[in-house]
Amino acid sequence: MSSSSNPNPNSRPDLDDTINVTTTHNSESMTAAAARENRNPGSNKEPLSIATFAVCAVIFIVAGSVIGNASGGFFSYNTNIKPEYVRGKAPGVADDVALPPKPILDVYVKKGQSLYSAKCNGCHGADGKGDGVNYPSLVGSAWSTGHTERFSQVILNGLQGPTSTGKVYGAGVMPAQGGGMSAQDLAFIMTFIRNSFGNSVGDVVTPEMAQAAIDIAAKRSNPAAPVTAEELKEHEKDLPGEKMDPATLVDPITFQAVQAKK
Amino acid sequence: MSQETKQSAEQDAILRTAIDRSLRHPVMFFFTSGAAWLAVSLLLGIIATAKMVSPEFMDGCAWFTQGRVFAAHISTLVYGWGCQAAFGVLIWLIARLTRQENRASGIILAAGHAWNFLIAVGTVAILGGYGTGVPWMEFPTMIWPALLMAYALIAIWTMIQFRVRTTGEVFVSQWFAVGALVWFPWIVATAFVLVFCVGGNPLMSAGVAAWFRSGITYLFFLPTAAAAAYYLAPKISGRPVHSYSLSLIGFWVLAVVGPWTGMQKLTGAPIPFFLPYMGAAAAVLIGIPTIAIAVSTLRTMASEPGKFASSPALRFTATGVVCMLVLGISSSFSNLPNSTLPLTQFSITQYGMDILAIYGCFSFVMFGAIYFIVPRITRREWLSKRFIKMHFLFSMYGVIAVAVLSVLGGMLHGQGQENFKFTWDSAVASAYPYQMATLIAWCFVLFSNVFFFAHLLLMWMRLGRRSSHPTLLGHAHLDSPHGPEGDIDNAGPGSVIAH
Repeated sequence: MSSSSNPNPNSRPDLDDTINVTTTHNSESMTAAAARENRNPGSNKEPLSIATFAVCAVIFIVAGSVIGNASGGFFSYNTNIKPEYVRGKAPGVADDVALPPKPILDVYVKKGQSLYSAKCNGCHGADGKGDGVNYPSLVGSAWSTGHTERFSQVILNGLQGPTSTGKVYGAGVMPAQGGGMSAQDLAFIMTFIRNSFGNSVGDVVTPEMAQAAIDIAAKRSNPAAPVTAEELKEHEKDLPGEKMDPATLVDPITFQAVQAKK
Repeated sequence: MSQETKQSAEQDAILRTAIDRSLRHPVMFFFTSGAAWLAVSLLLGIIATAKMVSPEFMDGCAWFTQGRVFAAHISTLVYGWGCQAAFGVLIWLIARLTRQENRASGIILAAGHAWNFLIAVGTVAILGGYGTGVPWMEFPTMIWPALLMAYALIAIWTMIQFRVRTTGEVFVSQWFAVGALVWFPWIVATAFVLVFCVGGNPLMSAGVAAWFRSGITYLFFLPTAAAAAYYLAPKISGRPVHSYSLSLIGFWVLAVVGPWTGMQKLTGAPIPFFLPYMGAAAAVLIGIPTIAIAVSTLRTMASEPGKFASSPALRFTATGVVCMLVLGISSSFSNLPNSTLPLTQFSITQYGMDILAIYGCFSFVMFGAIYFIVPRITRREWLSKRFIKMHFLFSMYGVIAVAVLSVLGGMLHGQGQENFKFTWDSAVASAYPYQMATLIAWCFVLFSNVFFFAHLLLMWMRLGRRSSHPTLLGHAHLDSPHGPEGDIDNAGPGSVIAH
């Protein structure tokens, strides 16, 4: 547009970039495309056709039947569960698919951790250190890391009076934890405490040993009362039972020893 | 009288030109960057499908593992292309229909740049392994509030324009456009809060994600497509919208039913049982608004068969509306809890339906709108009708193939899954040939979009044809006294018959 050499752009032989068609033709305010457009013609008030109505009605009925079929079952979870749903196995997969085996110590510590957080966390804390005032620490405790029989009796029966350090804590008494605890669970918890929070005894309390501990607790003269430091002196020994190598490989679901796959 | 009509026609044209001018930068930016994201998304889609066919393909590269590539493909398709095309069309439509220039184009353009930046960051994050893993909400958590803010800056001016409109009656197109503009932030904000902020049951998050996916499809993409179709059909054909009452039914059924869809995808999951059932019923009912929209727009277009053959905008729009109809009907048939839903719930049918919704229905109408809008805002005509034809044909065959193959293959896939006595492998194997064909179909779609993107880029660079004649698909103007290119605006505006 600013070409000074030729003031009249219309006399150029052909259009080039210096000529803007709209300005040349003095219609800056209007483009051809906008000018040739129709005005929006608005809407007709045609009635709904029977065919459209019929199709919509069918859809409506189908949707109604979807809701209708669920009647009575709106809050039931059973309708969509197929009986005997077991997916066919891919070729080459063995019948009993097993998880890869793991060392027994790792498996027990992991299981024990979840039991610990359910039963022991409240007082002894997630770090096992207690609070130093009301609840004693399990870390480095002579009773936790010492003889397994003594330790098991504290867990199963609870404890009254001084702890291994001789100090009497604010809580005074630890309630018995043995109620409803299986030998397997006791084995998990004991193994966990003896090998966590910085404790590293490195041994595994087997379910067999734990069962012996439960039997010992049942034979006490006054099974309802918590043990005392005095009574614990009778239990200064390890639980009977065959010791297990902590590196033994077990199935993480069944906890049975397995042969490592070569 | 004729003098008066001519004058008001001229005033109209001047006003339209002014509106187009006011929005030319943001709208063109949304279209061009949207088309670029579409190309990126298609490439990622091809890689993702190729990995479904041959899992070893690019398996050494963590950035292109299936989980990441597919997530990036859908995210760029929905937010890179879909949302941007919708923003461009919606802000232009409302400005035109309320007959007001947009005075905030600078802010909209800036917000558009922010949107693109966020999409780019989000996509790289997904490919880098920082995706959230929530379907359709894969961008990292902090992207979403920023996207919503960018959206607010884009849409608020349009809402203000609608609020202060001086035009009396609200045209059908505006119902859907304003609906889409209001529903979009509602869905995104609700899903964001429920999935990422409120630490509820993860199962419920899965339900909300399924609802979100459906909501974006039926309450944003579908009404946006409807708004454009309701604008273009009467505009180009010059005939009024076929039926006001049918359109009214379409809008209100969509508004009532749309928010209920989605949860049917969790049938069988331990969530309150009425949620999947209401979802299934709503998904069946989606057939009604699509029929209403399709019948009234298609019959409007059909009243001028000549225009239909020649106008690229109308041809794309009509195809999109037909896809919308197919989408609605298949939604009715594929969500019946005790017969078809188990076949479509976890199979590749879902993907086919998504593509039918985003590419078949929504994008085709958007292409139609883009072919209509771009010559107006760039003041240039489209360069090549051959490019437009290539875009149309390859896109159409491609998307029909992707949708049909995924839906059919998905049914077989679903049947294999239901047959639980057989291995999972056999279910996957039955879908394999369909996956293979989908891959080829995606290549068609990508090929077609090379033409679209190149064409749009040339228009954006203001290299379009300067002529008063539109680029039409037929041979209508070959025998024009002014030659095939038309007169170069000589006859002045308003002298050429409407297209």
